[in-house]
Amino acid sequence: MSEERFLELAPLAALGALDGEDQKAFDEALRSSMPCRAELAAFELVAARLPLALEPVAPPSSLREHVIAAVAPPGHGRPEAPSRSWLFSLLAAAMALIMGLGYLVVRRDRDVARREAAGARSGLEALGRELTEANVALSALRQDLARERAVGELVAQPDSRLARLTGLPAAPKASARIVWNPGSRRAILFVRGLDAAPAGKAYEVWVIAQAAPVPAGVFQVGADGSAVFTLPVVEETARAKTFAVTLEPAAGTMAPTGPMVLAGAAGGS
Amino acid sequence: MFGVGVSRLSRMISPQSRQLLLRLVSGDHEALGEFYDLYAGLVNGLALRILRDASDAEDVVQEVFVQAWRQASRFDASRGTPEAWLCTMARTRALDKLRRKVSRREEPEEVAPGPTATPGSAEAIAVRMALDELSADQRRALELAYYDGLTQTEIAARLGEALGTVKTRIRTAMIQLREVLGPLSS
Repeated sequence: MSEERFLELAPLAALGALDGEDQKAFDEALRSSMPCRAELAAFELVAARLPLALEPVAPPSSLREHVIAAVAPPGHGRPEAPSRSWLFSLLAAAMALIMGLGYLVVRRDRDVARREAAGARSGLEALGRELTEANVALSALRQDLARERAVGELVAQPDSRLARLTGLPAAPKASARIVWNPGSRRAILFVRGLDAAPAGKAYEVWVIAQAAPVPAGVFQVGADGSAVFTLPVVEETARAKTFAVTLEPAAGTMAPTGPMVLAGAAGGS
Repeated sequence: MFGVGVSRLSRMISPQSRQLLLRLVSGDHEALGEFYDLYAGLVNGLALRILRDASDAEDVVQEVFVQAWRQASRFDASRGTPEAWLCTMARTRALDKLRRKVSRREEPEEVAPGPTATPGSAEAIAVRMALDELSADQRRALELAYYDGLTQTEIAARLGEALGTVKTRIRTAMIQLREVLGPLSS
């Protein structure tokens, strides 16, 4: 039975008003589904509250005595008292049982306490690990946030500019943008589609204002081929005409030596 | 939309009722007297509404409280209040009795719905108000199902309406009551 059909029938079932095929189908669904039972129980509770709207009618006062007499026939109190002759042996047996149970309970409690202590220790260790991981994640988030803020501030400045860098034959799928500001000399590079640099190598950024390119930092790309890199403040950025990226030794060089992978006009005035 | 917060119900039972139930389970006869004093009017009112016979209703009241005494340990506070528990037992027993009578006699006479009572508890007022929000047709169909124990087909025949109409009417009434009443209100 579909859930929809079940929901249709549950309110009627709670009143006992189903019959025929509906009743059969509902009973079958009920046997196999816990959620169905919960739904039925909710409607049964609604039904059971209906008579609260009726006016209470006190039954005749004699009925109270009848009810109490019915559960406690004279001479048959509950629980039944054992006869005296059995009392002593019963007590002795009870004492033995209580002592035995007491020993079992103490032993079980001790084992439980040991297990709980071990559980608590491993729980603490796990918590410590989680805390370390959380701290690492937090500091990464803080870095991300600081970078986002820097990007936001840079973009918000009216004299900031955007340069597009295109992939060269050494990295045809790469592309990049640089947001840069000639006044503050600040610049942020966004790279996509660049292969990770080989071991011992890194990508180096160059700012070209006049003849000689000026180094503006090295960066690595992530596994997804992307990077966001804040360039160091260099004087040439005030008059930048071209930005370029080359593949260089990881420590960086003072003049480009490796293949150029990205380049683009600064787009300044 | 499964689940109605049934677990919240157990907190809705008054400390007094909880205490009484514990004493019933422990076999305290005085507790049965106090339990009876609290709820006998409710159970008798329901039995009378179904059976329309004072003597039959008294039989039901006695059976229900004896059953409550014997089965107090089975009462599940997560599934409802003592009132709901007692009413469910009372309705089952009263309808059984009614069916045995009907098979021996003719259809029970129709009684006009009495004047609106002034029920005491906040819960009773909430239920009364929720019922007042239903249409007269919806209330009639609900009453035939709950108090007369009729099935959907029997109700349709009694009212001279299509079965589908009756089913929809009862379903929408129950859904509305469930929404209005929510988990127990007080």
